[in-house]
Amino acid sequence: MTKTAWAWVWFGLLLALDIAIPWYVLTSVEKVSAAFLFWTIWVLAAIASAFIIFLKWRGVKS
Amino acid sequence: MSATFWVWFGIIVYIAAGLGIALMARRQLGAGVSEFFLANRKLGGFISALTYSATTYSAFMMIGLAGLTYLTGVGALGFELTYLCGMFMMVFFLPRFWLVGKKYGYISPMELLSDRYQNRGVGATAAILALVFLIPYGAVQLMGVGYLMNGVSGGAVPVVAGIIIAVLCAIAWSSIAGLRSVAWTDAFQALLMITVSAAVLGVVINALGGFGAFFDKLESAVPGLLTVPTAGGSWNLNMFIGLALPWLFFLISNPQVSQRLFIPKSVTAMKQMLGGFLIFGFIYTLISVLWGFGATLLVPGLENADLATPNLLALPIIPTGLAIVVMIGITAAAISTIDSILLTLSSVWARDIHKGLINRKVSEKGELRVGQWVIPIMAVIAFLFALWVAEKPGLDYMIAPLSSAASAGLLMAVPTIFGAFFWKRGTAFGAMVSMIAGAIIVLIFQLTGWKPLGWWPGVWGFVVCVPLFVIVSLATRPPKEKAEEFLGYLKGALKKGRFI
Repeated sequence: MTKTAWAWVWFGLLLALDIAIPWYVLTSVEKVSAAFLFWTIWVLAAIASAFIIFLKWRGVKS
Repeated sequence: MSATFWVWFGIIVYIAAGLGIALMARRQLGAGVSEFFLANRKLGGFISALTYSATTYSAFMMIGLAGLTYLTGVGALGFELTYLCGMFMMVFFLPRFWLVGKKYGYISPMELLSDRYQNRGVGATAAILALVFLIPYGAVQLMGVGYLMNGVSGGAVPVVAGIIIAVLCAIAWSSIAGLRSVAWTDAFQALLMITVSAAVLGVVINALGGFGAFFDKLESAVPGLLTVPTAGGSWNLNMFIGLALPWLFFLISNPQVSQRLFIPKSVTAMKQMLGGFLIFGFIYTLISVLWGFGATLLVPGLENADLATPNLLALPIIPTGLAIVVMIGITAAAISTIDSILLTLSSVWARDIHKGLINRKVSEKGELRVGQWVIPIMAVIAFLFALWVAEKPGLDYMIAPLSSAASAGLLMAVPTIFGAFFWKRGTAFGAMVSMIAGAIIVLIFQLTGWKPLGWWPGVWGFVVCVPLFVIVSLATRPPKEKAEEFLGYLKGALKKGRFI
């Protein structure tokens, strides 16, 4: 698979976790350490992966 | 002196500072449409990051999202962070928009679509979609300012007065020097809004005994708000997907932000814009949600959740001076969004409707004049809509759902935008049919409140418009030559820049 395809797969996985964990794993856990913490860490993973990709960009002449 | 005096004093200082910055920006204003609407594609990374942040984050955050958290709990965090996760797609779309914007000289995202699909009707359809659905979103910003000034002044500043102040500032910021004045005032306003909101959150958390005690109190006082779905029925999956789906694609569906993908002056500026925004967005989202949770503990039992922030600011634990500065910060957030919307809508009207459909031979000067006239007209329409909505109670008319509803309509352009960059076989008819049919469904479901199977309007529209785009495209003839040339250019340029 190309890098672009891998990036789309990773993004799809993030979205699947967005639903699966809060609604099916943590649904009855009424703690700050449950859905609140999950979403915070989850989005940090998304942000970090975006950084890993875009920091490799380099200047081009269009 | 009374709090009302200081509220007015704060407003006057803010307006004076904004006007000063806008007038300074005007000194750098050159001639032409590209200069007025895109600052000639020469913005640095720092200003680009801040204008992107200020345009994206608005009164919606500190009033709408805080209110939604107050009423429905942690699902509001998931909903807003889903948007931020969607920003991952910038690694695909930012370089693509930027590269073709520079190569073909596009002014608006709609012009890109018209050219790529070789049909002006595509851009015009997307333009009409933006005009219809961005008005409610703009109105939301105005409502936010009205509520806030009214709440912080203890009712001394009427809601309508706040709305009028916001309208006049937005018209001024966007008219004085186009994107240059908008971007510079945005940068000032972005720094203001994040600094002062963090300061007040610090005061609130401190008053509740620090983060540890704050979280303990949340778990003991409102445990039901820390899970999804809540006991009260909020944040079932249908509600989450209904609100989050339009938000997920906000970065490409909302032209006031996708137009900003044309403006960085270099790849370095592009990287700074994206990185800066992601950091800003993460911090600002957490602040807004924690603010909403703070309000559930400190001002429980409010009938209108959008008033959570004004009520929080009116508490004795918040020094009056700080409350007024925060009010200005949130006002700045709202105005920085609506002025960007006005500027984008004016460019879309001038380029994609006036020049695209009405008068193809219009000069650049004439086109610019048309765009400048559209700014106050759109502002007045948004103002009237805000007055109408401000009278309506209930969840459907809260700021957060109304914002997401506006994006639900714009979501219908997403298959067309994906097709432009990733599918050679996409056609103009596929694009137009999918956008029109999807938008009609969203409008009907939105206005009637009908939710078959419990699915929200944006979801229904999307479910219909995606297959329509594919099927109609397959049944019609694509602009083969343009698709090859456009995507061929991108393929080479993306490889050179190590983009994916």
